[in-house]
Amino acid sequence: MRVNPNPTNDVIAALELTQQQEQIALQEISTGKRVNQPSDDPAAAALYAGNVAAESRIDQYLQSVGSLQALNQTADSALSSVVAALNQAISLGTQAANGDMNPDNLQQILQSVQGVLNQVVQLANTSFQGSYIFAGTATTTQPFSVNNGGVTYNGNSGVNNAAIADGRTIQVNLSGNQIFQNSGGDVFGTLQQLVTGLQNGDKTAIATATTALGTALQQLSVQRSFYGSNLNQLTGDQNELNQQKLNLQTQDNKLVGIDLSVAATDLSQAQLAHQAALAASARVLQPSLLDYLK
Amino acid sequence: MGTLTSSLLMAAQSLLAEQGALNVTSNNISNVNTPGYSREVPVFSEQTPVHEGNLLFGQGVALQSIDSIRDRLLELRILDEQQQNSNAQTQLGYLNQVQALFSNTSQGIGSDITAFFNSLNQLSTNPTSVPLRQAVLTAANNLANDFHNTVDQLSSIQSNLNQSVVESVNGINGLTAQIAQLNTQVGQMKSLGKDAGALEDQRNQLINQLSQLTDVHVINTEQGVTLTTGNGTALVVGGQAFALQTTPNSSGNQEVIAQGKDITSTLTGGHLGGAILVRDQTIPDVMSQLDNLAGGLASNFNAAHHQGFDLNGNTGGDFFAPSAPGAGAAKNFAVLITDPAAIAASSDGSPGSNGNIANLLAVQNQNLPSGKTPADAYAGLISDVGNTTAQMQAESAASTLSLQQLQDQRQAISGVSVDEEATNLIRYQHAFDAAARVITTVDIMTQTVIAMGSPTG
Repeated sequence: MRVNPNPTNDVIAALELTQQQEQIALQEISTGKRVNQPSDDPAAAALYAGNVAAESRIDQYLQSVGSLQALNQTADSALSSVVAALNQAISLGTQAANGDMNPDNLQQILQSVQGVLNQVVQLANTSFQGSYIFAGTATTTQPFSVNNGGVTYNGNSGVNNAAIADGRTIQVNLSGNQIFQNSGGDVFGTLQQLVTGLQNGDKTAIATATTALGTALQQLSVQRSFYGSNLNQLTGDQNELNQQKLNLQTQDNKLVGIDLSVAATDLSQAQLAHQAALAASARVLQPSLLDYLK
Repeated sequence: MGTLTSSLLMAAQSLLAEQGALNVTSNNISNVNTPGYSREVPVFSEQTPVHEGNLLFGQGVALQSIDSIRDRLLELRILDEQQQNSNAQTQLGYLNQVQALFSNTSQGIGSDITAFFNSLNQLSTNPTSVPLRQAVLTAANNLANDFHNTVDQLSSIQSNLNQSVVESVNGINGLTAQIAQLNTQVGQMKSLGKDAGALEDQRNQLINQLSQLTDVHVINTEQGVTLTTGNGTALVVGGQAFALQTTPNSSGNQEVIAQGKDITSTLTGGHLGGAILVRDQTIPDVMSQLDNLAGGLASNFNAAHHQGFDLNGNTGGDFFAPSAPGAGAAKNFAVLITDPAAIAASSDGSPGSNGNIANLLAVQNQNLPSGKTPADAYAGLISDVGNTTAQMQAESAASTLSLQQLQDQRQAISGVSVDEEATNLIRYQHAFDAAARVITTVDIMTQTVIAMGSPTG
């Protein structure tokens, strides 16, 4: 039977094929990915795109959680300073109510308590990155102002929520009036009462105000625990997000990644095939009858 | 009659015949690498013998004809495979360009959409922050830019395809004109009873080139070959070629016109068919998916944005254009807000509220009119483009293989084998030598005969 006498085209096609396989194997190893363009595995490419988006969202959640942690820490440490200041005010009040105080001493205590009041007002006006954190959602307005011996709340009672994972949100803030002017214990009201008592030298009023201040302190601590538990929740969320990201990355690897040992074997096989094809081509192309007719 | 003269004449005929055969061999060897060449064989035949009493004397050899060895059916099959192969290769080439736009998962529309929603999530941690608001606008503009880039690149592939359509049509016209001319020449040769092998080879080679450009149907008739396109539009009839024209349509795409009739959609094979398919189906399909994505995203997001209040307490306006899905949505996708304060993050009108961001973020998981979320719609697009390309890769590889096998078959029949020609060369040389020896012998014998009557003998 007559066969194709000029196999050069077949030889070229065979060499192209083995070379292509070699290049594919090389590309897989150098990128570490089995799917380098959608046509390599359309289904995996689509799932991978979804995974990449999910990972990017997780990165964003982690970043948001970081910002929220900073915000909550600022709030928590401000409230911790308020607690310290209130404790000081309580001990001053207790001193004033119990001891044999002369008016000079009372005057000194009054000044100290007024200092505490100012300090607490300042702490209640704490801002974070340009926003007042105890103003509800009216974060551009300074929430507390002192006028006519009283403290007025200028914020609102709005609260914000932020997404910290797919389908999970966290309340970000408490409004200032809930913290400082709560009906269960009004920090500014009782401090003001103490100031008035001290101004009048009325020890009964001072004692009542000090007790009320204790209740207000308790109430404030209850409110402060919101931020503490928020911080715990955020840390927990952070761990969970990192875990999710790890899971997604593992999945990515299964979807589009390569098994390095398999890929290396593939490459050496492709190289071997290419060399074999080259060797065979060299033999096929050489001899003709003319080489033997002398 | 068995005379010396007749032997001499026979030997002389034999010399001529072997020289002719040598000529054929030489021509075969010369054309060993000529594409489309079919090997020729000399056909020797015995001369009619002469009766002499009860003896029958052979009258030597004649070189009756020189035949081209070809399988016409196989050649038609090759043409068919050729146009499929060239069609698949063309489509694959352009599909690879299209899929390159969707290959990078860390860039492009998909990651822009995620980045945009991510920037909103970040804004929710501090809704009054102008830098964070600016970041949202930047991310939105990146998305718009990538929609434009992708559409622009698809359009530029389309305009390359239009260029290619025009070039293919010009190529087809050039080839059909040459084929028509060869038809006339082959007809003339045949009417003179000559083998038009060389001209047929040329014509076949041209038809082969033509079949790379478009789907050609070949009908062998009395007047030579008649060529039509797949749906029967005449390209060549006898010595006449019918040129195709191109004219741009309303959307700027080049339409192919044959004798005043638009035949664009009927051209399916070859380079031209592949280019038209990618231009008129594949790319518009991708474009319409992008339009659905862009338009749906814009209208869903605008609806959510209207529910909120901006930094100044005003109701949120349109965030993106266009306001409704439709053709051109991806091309016209734009961010309408330039003032960071105009992002409606607040749900109660107070600047620090982030209540509406939850609504804006919900658009991520909200179905577009296509019934998919934006991320799913984009992933679906990737998978569609990938599937089409993968399918075409498989088709192209299969067709290349089958074309190669057919060409191997053709070569097995029509290809020149140097070994075979070398053998023939020796065969003809030996026969020539022998015939020459006959002449020498007859010459000596004639000398003897002449000497017989000589007085000096």
